[in-house]
Amino acid sequence: MLLSLIAYISILLFVGISVYKAYKFATMPMHGRMELYPVPKEKGFEHGGSFYEEVSWWSKPHEVSHMREIVEMLKEILFIKKLFENQRPLWWISYALHLGIYMLMAWTMLLVVGVVSELNGITVAATDTGIWGLLVYYVTVATGIVGLALGTLGAGALFLRRVFDNTLKKYTTPQEYVNLLVLFAALFTGILTWGSDLSFHTAREVTANLITFTPFAASGLVTLHVILVGIMLIYIPISKMSHYVGKYFTFHKVLWDNDPNLKGSAIEHQVKKASTFRPSTSWSASHIKPPDAPTL
Amino acid sequence: MINQKDLLPKDMGRKDEQLIKLELDQLIPLLAPYDKPGMESPLTDPKPAWKEKYCTSLDGYVGIDTLTRPKSKEEEDEFVRKFLSGLEKIFSDANNGVLQPLLLTYEYCAKCDTCSSACHIYEATGGNELYRPIYRSEVLRKIAKKYFTTSGKLLGGFVGADIDVNWETIARLGELSYRCNLCRRCAQTCPLGLDNAILSKEIRKIFSQEMGISPVPLHTKGTMNQLRTGSSTGLTKPAFLDTIEFLEEDTEEKFGIKLKFPIDKKGADILLLHNAGEFIAWPENPVAFALLFNAAGLNWTLSSEVLGYDSVNYGLWYDDPQAKKIALGQMKVAHDLRVNRIVMGECGHAHKAAAMVADRMSYGEGKIPVESCFPILWEMVKNKSIKFDPSKNNFPVTLHDPCNVVRQLGIVLPQRNVLKALAPQFREMSHPGVENYCCGGGSGFAIMNNANFPEFRTQVASRVKFNQILGAFKDTISDASIPKYICAPCSNCKGAMRGILEHYDATEKFNLQYSGLVELMVNAMVDIKIPFFEFLEEKK
Repeated sequence: MLLSLIAYISILLFVGISVYKAYKFATMPMHGRMELYPVPKEKGFEHGGSFYEEVSWWSKPHEVSHMREIVEMLKEILFIKKLFENQRPLWWISYALHLGIYMLMAWTMLLVVGVVSELNGITVAATDTGIWGLLVYYVTVATGIVGLALGTLGAGALFLRRVFDNTLKKYTTPQEYVNLLVLFAALFTGILTWGSDLSFHTAREVTANLITFTPFAASGLVTLHVILVGIMLIYIPISKMSHYVGKYFTFHKVLWDNDPNLKGSAIEHQVKKASTFRPSTSWSASHIKPPDAPTL
Repeated sequence: MINQKDLLPKDMGRKDEQLIKLELDQLIPLLAPYDKPGMESPLTDPKPAWKEKYCTSLDGYVGIDTLTRPKSKEEEDEFVRKFLSGLEKIFSDANNGVLQPLLLTYEYCAKCDTCSSACHIYEATGGNELYRPIYRSEVLRKIAKKYFTTSGKLLGGFVGADIDVNWETIARLGELSYRCNLCRRCAQTCPLGLDNAILSKEIRKIFSQEMGISPVPLHTKGTMNQLRTGSSTGLTKPAFLDTIEFLEEDTEEKFGIKLKFPIDKKGADILLLHNAGEFIAWPENPVAFALLFNAAGLNWTLSSEVLGYDSVNYGLWYDDPQAKKIALGQMKVAHDLRVNRIVMGECGHAHKAAAMVADRMSYGEGKIPVESCFPILWEMVKNKSIKFDPSKNNFPVTLHDPCNVVRQLGIVLPQRNVLKALAPQFREMSHPGVENYCCGGGSGFAIMNNANFPEFRTQVASRVKFNQILGAFKDTISDASIPKYICAPCSNCKGAMRGILEHYDATEKFNLQYSGLVELMVNAMVDIKIPFFEFLEEKK
């Protein structure tokens, strides 16, 4: 029961704190434009161009491709494109960690799917004759093995790189080592816990007990693993490992936000609204008079 | 002094003298023909008088000429107190205009160090730790954590709040904010989309907006001068009108063309805004614009009103309220003239200030659309509204991309199209377009000439650019009979080019020339019977 509570609470806190952080960033005051080219949605993306390459640009339709923006976003999310292009050696280990996490997220969901399937009378096993049971079984096995291996390897390698790289260690605080160790500990105990049964039948049983609040005799290792995963899930959103939240805003609301303030536009509406704000603090240098409107 | 390889962010708090000293042999080598011994002067030490007066304890260079050493413990404490007060304010509603991007960069840096290899100053110094983009950012984070976060107060060094904060720490950090050109090239490479230039600028803002400390060329002789006289050059309205008259006469004398600059023409289609430095240092630029705009039959005007004849906005680099005052003042001039559009001349930061930074400063009827001159210039060529003879530009030409025009506004093709059409020997530098390197003059460096700062600008900040130029002309560089033209369509970039060419004596030795885009266009005009460039006249 206690482990069930830990599982539910940690997932709830992970989602809740992440959403809260996103909400805080989303409701921050409008800022001045700070885009940086190439901007994917722009027609001239290939050469880094913008609507400013047109004469009287404001009198022409602003041709944008949201599809290209989504594609670029997916390249960043799925493959960490910028790191791949600009620092390949680090990409290998960083991507191992990230891909491992993606796989483990899929694995966790597949365990739940497996539990629900079995509750509905579908056997999830290599010996099953139904397509669904086989599919869930094999994808669970694949994502679980790859996820645990890559995630653990990536977290460990990132930690070791920070320890031994003369540059990175100058900038790494003890807390940042802890960040990686928290990930590593949760993932490594995952290998120890589930590694003896790579069909993940045991994992599915434990998942079934956890999500249905069914008391079960958890081993010390299972208990430790669930607690560590719980700590990790709560810790990630309160630490800077919550960059999955920040990254949305840095790209979409800063680097790729080039919507001009045209008459009648939504931006103009926001600018009007922002112009009514009066800051509660002001700068002290003698050349600065109290502002009568915010500086955007 | 510390071996730069051992330098840590917390060393900024050391009481020692100068943290590091740059030596010539640590810098990346210059390309041929500057790869031979003796082709470059050694880097100098700061004078003892500067050490006593300013903060030379960073790297020996003096960027902020109003940052003077305290005379008492009280002054020192007050200096630190003011900085901390300003640091707190950048995270408050006083800084709403940048709060979200600032917090993102402040909070999320993974310290992966991807940004370092994108920085031309870090590269130029052979990877000197002091100039690593995250070095500066990390110092700022350490101070902020120490004073303004619960974790920093409780856990100290565990979360990185392990820096001593004293006069030297803060003064060094202020100086270090002027070792970054704010070119944002590093931000292009960040896997998390973070921007170290934001933090550099925030440090500059704390110094200016809270402490009243900023380089004289940017503030006293820059924005304050501009708000008072109309131009950062000090050019007043009568002096501006005299200059225009002189340029009209001079053009007629030189080229036999009766040139008329339209001034304060109400209801004109275009208000053309130049960097007023052009009228003084490179008057051929506004002349070339006038010749082209007149020949193309555009309905345009210059303004003689205060803030109407100088496009610069140095506030962009160090002080948001100053930037806003200037941008809105320029907008008002355009509105009063009832023009349809403001066209920015060849000045990169002015482009960015008016078109992008000021875009969300106003709304409604008073907001006049801003556009770049480059699409208009390309249209003149494309539409054949002016007759050009490209063979008149038959010498090697390369293009320096101003950061503010390409990376920050996405204007990449029009200027290239003009060059491809009118300069038969046009060749790109390495890293063209949005991947360009800063000229080394960005964010105020081009006009900061106090003490030994020009040495840092020319031999360090502009070093990668100089190598790009040498690389672009490697086929003809050693032949001094062939002029080699650096097209730098930006006033500040031209200032940096001037510094580079003078320092390395490159015009005299290798016939390296620089100027803008419009000058090349006018040189190719069929109606201009004699060369527009003096270096072509001399050759003749």
